[in-house]
Parts: sequence; C-alpha cells; structure tokens
Amino acid sequence: MVKTNGDAKLTLKTEEVMVNIGPQHPSTHGVFRMRVTFDGEVVTELEPIFGYLHRGSEKLAEERTYTQVITLTDRLDYLASMSNNLAYVLAAEKLAGIQPPERAMYIRVIMAELMRIASHCMGLGFFINDLGALATPLMYMFREREKILDLFELVCGARITFSYMRIGGVSGDLPEEFMPALVKFINEMPGYIDEYEALLRENEILISRTKDIAILTAEKAINASVTGPMLRASGVPWDLRKSDPYEVYDRFDFDIPVGSTGDTYDRFLVRLEEMRESVLIVKQAMEQIPSGPFRALAPALIHPPVGEAYAHVEAPKGELGFYLVSDNSIAPYRCKIRAPSFINLTVLRDLIIGWKLADLVVIFGSFDINMGEVDR
Amino acid sequence: MIGVIKGLATTIKTMLRSPVTVQYPDKHLPMADRFMGFPGLLWDVKIDESKCVGCKVCARYCPTDCMYVSIKDNEKYAEGKSHRKKMVDDFVLDISRCIVCGICVEVCNFDAIVMTQIHEIGNTGRRGLWADMDTLHAMGKEYEEEHGPAYPENQAVGEEETAQ
Amino acid sequence: MDWFYELWPKLGEAFRGWLESALPDSIEGWVIYLVLGLLSMLVIVNLPIVGVMAMIYMERRLLGRFQNRLGPNRVGPFGILQPVADAIKIMTKEDIVPNGVDRIVFNIAPIVMLTPILLMFAVIPYGGDTFLTNLNVGILFIVAITAVDTIAIFMAGWSSNNKYALFGAMRAVAQLVSYEIPLLIAILGVVVITGTMNLNEIVAHQSSLPLILFQPLGFVIFFVAISAELNRSPFDLLEADSEIIAGFHTEYSGMKFGMFQLAEFAALMGYSAVIATLYLSGWEGPGLPGYLWLFVKVFFIFGIFVWTRATLPRLRIDQVMALAWKFLLPLSFLNVAITAVEVVVWENGLPEWLIPVNIVIGAGLVAIMHRGLNFQGQTRQVVPSGPERLAAINRPVGGGTE
Repeated sequence: MVKTNGDAKLTLKTEEVMVNIGPQHPSTHGVFRMRVTFDGEVVTELEPIFGYLHRGSEKLAEERTYTQVITLTDRLDYLASMSNNLAYVLAAEKLAGIQPPERAMYIRVIMAELMRIASHCMGLGFFINDLGALATPLMYMFREREKILDLFELVCGARITFSYMRIGGVSGDLPEEFMPALVKFINEMPGYIDEYEALLRENEILISRTKDIAILTAEKAINASVTGPMLRASGVPWDLRKSDPYEVYDRFDFDIPVGSTGDTYDRFLVRLEEMRESVLIVKQAMEQIPSGPFRALAPALIHPPVGEAYAHVEAPKGELGFYLVSDNSIAPYRCKIRAPSFINLTVLRDLIIGWKLADLVVIFGSFDINMGEVDR
Repeated sequence: MIGVIKGLATTIKTMLRSPVTVQYPDKHLPMADRFMGFPGLLWDVKIDESKCVGCKVCARYCPTDCMYVSIKDNEKYAEGKSHRKKMVDDFVLDISRCIVCGICVEVCNFDAIVMTQIHEIGNTGRRGLWADMDTLHAMGKEYEEEHGPAYPENQAVGEEETAQ
Repeated sequence: MDWFYELWPKLGEAFRGWLESALPDSIEGWVIYLVLGLLSMLVIVNLPIVGVMAMIYMERRLLGRFQNRLGPNRVGPFGILQPVADAIKIMTKEDIVPNGVDRIVFNIAPIVMLTPILLMFAVIPYGGDTFLTNLNVGILFIVAITAVDTIAIFMAGWSSNNKYALFGAMRAVAQLVSYEIPLLIAILGVVVITGTMNLNEIVAHQSSLPLILFQPLGFVIFFVAISAELNRSPFDLLEADSEIIAGFHTEYSGMKFGMFQLAEFAALMGYSAVIATLYLSGWEGPGLPGYLWLFVKVFFIFGIFVWTRATLPRLRIDQVMALAWKFLLPLSFLNVAITAVEVVVWENGLPEWLIPVNIVIGAGLVAIMHRGLNFQGQTRQVVPSGPERLAAINRPVGGGTE
C-alpha cells in the first residue's frame, strides 16, 4: 500500500517495453524484424534483424553459368526484376567485352523505366498503406502496375520473373502489338499520377504525419552511402542515369527530382515525381528507337577473360551494382551484389529513434525496401 | 481541409468508374502470344516421331536442373525414314521446379521444345508434377493446335533435311 | 402504405389478444408481461445482429467499389450471403485462449463490450410508438452506457498478455475518454434547442426541419467525435493494423473476436441511428414507414463512414488527442454558447433565416480553429543513452521522492 498521509507522495516507476516487430507483422514489407524498445509510445532503441529470406544468391551464382545467373537476379528485388537483370547483364557484358546493339539498349531503357514506374507504384502504395489508408491508394497503384505487367507479358511472356535481358541484348524483339499498347499506356499514365496526387499530395493528414518527420540530412545520407530516391529526397541530385550514364541515358532529356529537407514527405514526393520523369524518358525512347538486331552475336556459354567488372544502374530503390570476377570458366568466380535496399537500411536506427510507434512504420515504409534484395 | 476534400472527391470519382476486376475462374484475360507456361515437347507429325533427339542441352542449361533426359539410337533412321540419328529415350520434367525462364527453348538446336501456355496445373501428390514424355508431347501438341506451328520459319529447313 | 406502417403494432396487439384468450385469468397478467418482454428483447438483440450483417456486406462492397474492385460476390447472388458465411466460419473456429492470459478478464471482456451496445437499441425510436422504453433521458442513457466499452477494451488489452494489445488498450483509454467530452457537449447543443433528452421528443421537434440545419457545427463535431469513439478511420488507432496488428483484440479468436467485431459494427449502427435521430429528423420522412426511413438514414450515414475510411490515412495518437482537446472541445463549447444565445433570443422557435447564418458561423469557426491547430508541432524526442537513459526511464511520476 502506498501511504498518502504526510509528505509521502505517490511514486510510480515506468519501465521500457521491448517489442519484436516482425518477422510476421503487417507492415514490415516481408520478413524484416526490428527489436524495438519503447518508452511509452516513443522508440528508444532499435535493432534491425534480417536474414529470414536469405537464399544465398551470391553463392548460387558461383555455380551457375553466366546466362543462368540472370534467373537468380530476377529474384532479388522481385518488384523490379528488369532493373536487376539490366545491372547484371551490364556487368557480364563489361566482363566479356560484348557490345549490345543499339536497339537492344533502347529496349532495355524502356523496360527499366517502366519497371521503375511499377516499383514506385508499389513503394508508394505500401507506404500509404502503412499510414493506414486501408489499401485504397495501393489498389489504384496496383491497377497501373498490372498494365505495366501486361506490357512486359507482351514482350517476354512473364509477369514477375522476366529473365528478359540477355548478355548481348534481350531475349526477344518487341512484338508488333507492343508499341501501340505502350503508347496507350504512356498517354494514360500522367492522368493516373494526377489522380494519386489529388488523392494524396495535399492531404492534411498525410502531410501532418510525414512533414518534418525523420529528417535525413544530406551529409548523413552521403556518409551512410544511401542512394536512390532517399538520397535525392535529402537534396543531393545524385542519379546514376545522369552522373554515370549507362546504356543510352545520355541521349534523353529529363530532370532529377530533388527534395528539400529529406523528411518522409520528401521521400514520398520524389518517388511521385520520378514516375513522371520515367514517363518522359519512355516517351523519348519510343521516338528514338532504331531498327536493327536486338541481340549481339554471343555464344550461349561465354568464357570471359580473367578479370573483374563492376556495373551499376539506378534501380528504383537506389544504386544496384554487380561485381563479377571471372576465372575464364563458364561461371562467375565471385558475384557480389550491392543491394540498395540493404545499404539504405543503415540509417534506419538513426532515423527512427525518438519517434513514436506510429511513425516507426511510416518511416520504415518510406525507405521502400524489398526483403528479397536485403537478404539476397 | 481542402486536401482531405480533394481526396474524398477522388475516391467518389473512382467509385463511379467500373471496377477493373476480372472474375478469374469464370473469365480469363487474353494471354499474350509470348505468354510462357510450362515447357512442352514438339512432335514431328510427318515422320511421327519426337522432334527431340535427346541431346540434353536443355537439361544442361536449365538453371534449376528440372529436366532429366536420356538418349537412344533412332530406329527410324536405320530404316531411312528419318533424318534424326538419335532419339530421346526418356524425358522427365519436374514442373514443380521449373521457373519458366525460357532458356531451354532458347538453347535447343532442334526446335524441339516450346513454352506452352499451360499454367493452371495443380496436384496433390509429391510426384504429381513430374511430367513424363507423353505428357510433355501432349502439351506441345495442344500448343500447336491452338497457336499453329511453333517455329514456322524453320519448318522448311526440317523438311529439306528429311528429303535428303 | 398505412397498412405497412401499422403492421408491427397490430401484430403485437393480435398476439397479445391471442395470449389473453388462450391463458387462464389467474396467470394472465404476468405471463403476458414476461412473454412480451422476452419477445421485445429478442427483437432488440437480433435487430443489430441482422443489421450488422447487412452493414458488413455493404462496407465490403462499397470499399471494393471505392478501390476499383468488385468486393465479395461469390457466396449467393451478388455475394449477399457472404456475411452469413463469415458468421458460420467465425462460430466454428477454435476458440484459442493463449497461455498466460488473465482468463477471467479475458473471457468477460467481449461480453462487457457487446452488452452495452445492445442495450443502446432499447431507447432508439424506430417510429412514432415503436421503441422498447420511452426514457426521458434517452440520449444521456446511450452515451453513458456505451462509455462502458472503454473498460471492456482496456480489459481485453490488459488481460491478453500481449504487448500490441497493451498498446491498443492504452491508446483506447486515452482516445475514447477524450472524445466523450466533445461528443457530449455537441449533443448539448441539440438538447438546448429541443429542451429535452427524450429521443422521441427530439424527433418530434424536427418534424418540419432537421436539426442539422440549425446545428451544422454541432453535427460536424459530433460526427468527428463519433468516428473516434467508434474507432473508424482516420481515428482507428486502437486497432491500427499497420502498427499494432489488431490492437486490443490481437489475441482473440473465434466467436470472442466475433463479439468484438459485432459490438463494433452494432455500435456503428446504433450511433448512425443516433446521428439520424439527433440531426436528420430520425424516423420522420414522407412515404415510407418510420423504421424504414430510419434504416435508410442509418445506411446513408454508414456510407459516409465507409467513404472516409476508404480515403483517409490514420492520424498519430498525439494528433488525435490534440484534435480532441485543442480543436473539438473549444468548438463544442462555442457551439453550445451560440446555440444558447440563439435559443434565448428567439424563444418561440428559431427562424429559418438562421440556417445560412449558422452554416457561415460554423464554417468560419472551423476555419479559424483549424488554423490554430498545428499538427506538425511534434518534434523528435531526444533519447539519452547509457546510464542517463536508465535514470530517465526509472523516473518517479508525480514528482515525489522514493
């Protein structure tokens, strides 16, 4: 019993609560786990734990031929398989010294940009879902992603794991019905992005939940080697498509959307704007695409000379790099994947500590990670 | 307040649009020409034998090792009816391991394998998804019946070889 | 339509007459009382259950349409049997009681949750003379009895021995208690105008014009507060699925979970009926019988709830509290004050030209208060590390010494 007479006052002790968020949790985007300590609703400590989806892609690549590894890259970031294919294929071409024909490069750019739109659709949709909007924006974005997947199905016959790019080109030329379908989609898409903006951009609740929350300064972002939309939201105009143009990106005219403060809202806006820019790039690529072969003459089984190569692309989630070492055999001696989702997670703890439980899921959602890529 | 009202207007506008859902088991979306289902083997109708000679190149290139192929001498070649010296003896494809990447089709030198559009396969047994040679040929036949010859541009070459 | 209107009272009368003739005189009085009482209870209990089924179906279909989908349509024609299938499924599910729960509290909580909600339907007028009791403090009774739900939610969250459930329970206590106050004061505006707490008389008062026209601000406050009370989006923090799984009912399964769900939707139905009664002239309406009009209005209001749920993201807990204390509470006081002045000045009923004036005043006040409400005032909490943190955590509350 607490005595209340005299000077003695009621004393209560508070205690921190440790909660395991994940690996089974509605908003951990897969099987991510965070061991979080809460003081009331405020996060005081956070420890990310991952590896639940580890499949050993890097090791598996060592005993597969260069062509077979393409199917492994599909399964890294399964929401952006085309970008993964592209990064790997670029590295392998660099290693083997194969130059793809021009048409193939244009096709690859179109595919990569469409993939970026689809991936950002998913990233934003799940981010808004974490905010508690009951899947409505997510469903709208799924609708557009389906259309993109239909386009991919026309081209390569698959909807998720494409394996479309090949060393020295792509596996098949664009079919006849592809271009009209692409034109239709590209003309429709800005209208749909307007719809998302009307639904979300000025929404006071969304702004109050995201503005000035979890500010990632440019300095900290660079120090933690954060890339992709997260870095650009912090105000650093770093985009590999501009700063180290691969394929034919130097022939297109597009802007890099950049945020001002680096808060959660900026990360949201940058992705939204990037979708518009991607539409522009696809439009230009459609006009410029030359005719010709879609694949360089390369043997199915390549033996690259001894050496190493690193190629990187601006994947939807950041800089995706493949580092390949060859020992003149049919399989890579070593395959190292620089996964943007994984490296972006380094700032997770710093950003989240001090915010509330409700902010935790939103901040985490704004990272737009993909567990297939984090755990590899 | 204005942003919230804009959002509400957007949802009500969407509500008046017709839904995009397709009632899947009742209605099927049209599949693209290149849509890849599981692989099937092609049948040479003229000679009445398989186009596959059992060279195992597909099995070697398969990223998931889902194919098991054996080879034998072709009896019809000895009789002079066929241009294929060797013939596939047995061909088993583990559909549960196949990842539908299309590499086998790409590497096949004899245009004997094709990605069919069969994708609605279900089974309760552990071995139920092991497709044997007859099943694979049936899948290939079904594909050619629906879509015409799988490799029309190479058709003439094959006939020429047979004639020789 | 007269026969339709008279149908239920006449049926009751006929049944009573049949009982009178069939029973011996010696026991007639109390048996009739008992049977009719039980019968009314049966109706009162089953009405929300059937209504909830319709509402769940409607919500899922509407949400589907808002999201460009179809919604459930496989069970029965247009999927109308979906709620029935859901009910069968939930009743046949295993009732799991996890280890380490406080069994008694855990088992009682769903009952404590559902009972007050069902009681609420006793005083809602469905027509001129069809209601269970004509309570002279009907609206007060409804608010008081449904406030018990806060305890039920806390019981459920506390006894579950689950941290997510505890989070939900703590949020529930903070949120539900806070929103009771603007809710009650918004109702006060209606009571000041009508001069009664009897729901039937409130409806009678609105026979010419619905009160929403004279109380637009009160309606908005009531609607927002009730969204929070019923934990509908954007205030569904108690069971915020993306944050705390399912909140207070994370550990419940089977019919206990079903009872929570039932209570939630029944409360939604009941409070939609209350909104209709207080602001939209209740069962009054041309053409149709009273109870049908009430149902039409209930489902219309429910549709608005679904609409907001489909559109709006969720607020954070401190924003929700700020909204209650800094925005709704002052507004509701202002609303009562303005209403009181109006009622004193125009003693013989409010003139009709006050309607646009009231709307303008309401919109102006909302705009002014909205500007003062700064949601973004939230700053990051500095979390000390090491021994400092331990000291900070184990701080005494209340400023006392140990």
